[in-house]
Amino acid sequence: MPDGTAPAKSPARPRRKLNVRPWLRALHRDIGYFAVGLTIVYATSGLAVNHLKDWDPNFKQVNRTHQLALPLPSDDDAAAKSALSTLGVRELPREIYRASDTQLDLVFDQRTFHVDTRSGVVHEEGQAARPLLRVANWLHLNRGKKAWTYIADFYAVFLLFLALSGLFMIPGRKGLLGRGAIVALLGAAVPIAYVVLSGGP
Amino acid sequence: MNQRKTDFEQALARRRFIQGAGAGTVILALGGTYVLSDELTREARAQTRTDGRPRLPPGQRVIQALRPMGGEPGDPSPGAYRLRVHGEVDAPFELGFAEFLSLPQSEQALDVHCVTTWSLLGAKFKGVRVADLAERAKLKKSARYVIFEAAHGYTSNVALRDALKPTVMVAHQLNGAPLARAHGAPVRAIVPEFYFWKSAKWLTGIRFSNHDEPGYWETRGYNNHADPWKEERYA
Repeated sequence: MPDGTAPAKSPARPRRKLNVRPWLRALHRDIGYFAVGLTIVYATSGLAVNHLKDWDPNFKQVNRTHQLALPLPSDDDAAAKSALSTLGVRELPREIYRASDTQLDLVFDQRTFHVDTRSGVVHEEGQAARPLLRVANWLHLNRGKKAWTYIADFYAVFLLFLALSGLFMIPGRKGLLGRGAIVALLGAAVPIAYVVLSGGP
Repeated sequence: MNQRKTDFEQALARRRFIQGAGAGTVILALGGTYVLSDELTREARAQTRTDGRPRLPPGQRVIQALRPMGGEPGDPSPGAYRLRVHGEVDAPFELGFAEFLSLPQSEQALDVHCVTTWSLLGAKFKGVRVADLAERAKLKKSARYVIFEAAHGYTSNVALRDALKPTVMVAHQLNGAPLARAHGAPVRAIVPEFYFWKSAKWLTGIRFSNHDEPGYWETRGYNNHADPWKEERYA
């Protein structure tokens, strides 16, 4: 020690506090944006198929009755032509089918005319697809299977991440140490209470 | 001070909203229960079947017309229609629609029960009994189950002893009219003793099997047996 004094201690480096919140927020934000489309598909379709007993979420039903003037031509093709002309249908049927002595079916892509050749009564019935909902329901119910299963799995993992990351994003008394915990517990209590009160599966 | 008052007023307004929403929900739920308990349902609940069971299974409500309930439609064309009867049989066969219509027909007023809690009572279905199709196909002794095969790979499974009951049929008419597309035209299965998803629409085949094969909904959390009187809705 050349000057007889202790060397000055180098000042302690301040410990950097690991703050994961900015990362959580960034991931939560971007995954949230990414999941918007899928969430709309699943939520809309979920509402639609939840009420299957009240409506058909995939198709609008067509049910009409018409009356033709009699007599109809005895030849099936001629009878069909006459019926369609009277009904103002320009589309050509994909099939003219004699189902019985008194019933002639005119089959189109979206509808069928059941013609009672004796009474002239025509029952028109068919289905018209609800364009967006049908596709959303098809995806939601995974009727196509195959690769959509993996996409649905990823989406489920994303939702889990959004739920869990959301718990830790807000610091302070509105976060998980305060009001956040109460609201989260209330939310968790809903399915628990339902299972308990309903008797479960 | 003013800011505090505003916060307080906001909190109060929110509390009022939550209280109002809660009260509204309770009123709607109670009102809904009252409305759902309609006259037809009450009448049906008072009736008893010949086997001693109540006519209306528990948790069901009576409606007046069959509901479509979705599903991926099959080809409604009668001209292109084929019904394949195969599996554990000695004489498998295929039928076109005209040939199907030429088989002995059965017309029965049946009650059907959907897992979504509606029931349709006394619907008149016309078609061919599965027992008659089984007889024509000459069942092997190894047959234990019937798998109804339908458009787009849909299947439903029923034990053979249940499928051969006289009320189980392949129907092409409902209430005197040809089966509508939404209900599975040109033909569908009718298995009235079980929840209605067993009654496959757009039926294309009847396969007799020596083992059980849970079908489309049975592999998606629905009950394999599906007895409405036991409320076997889910697995």
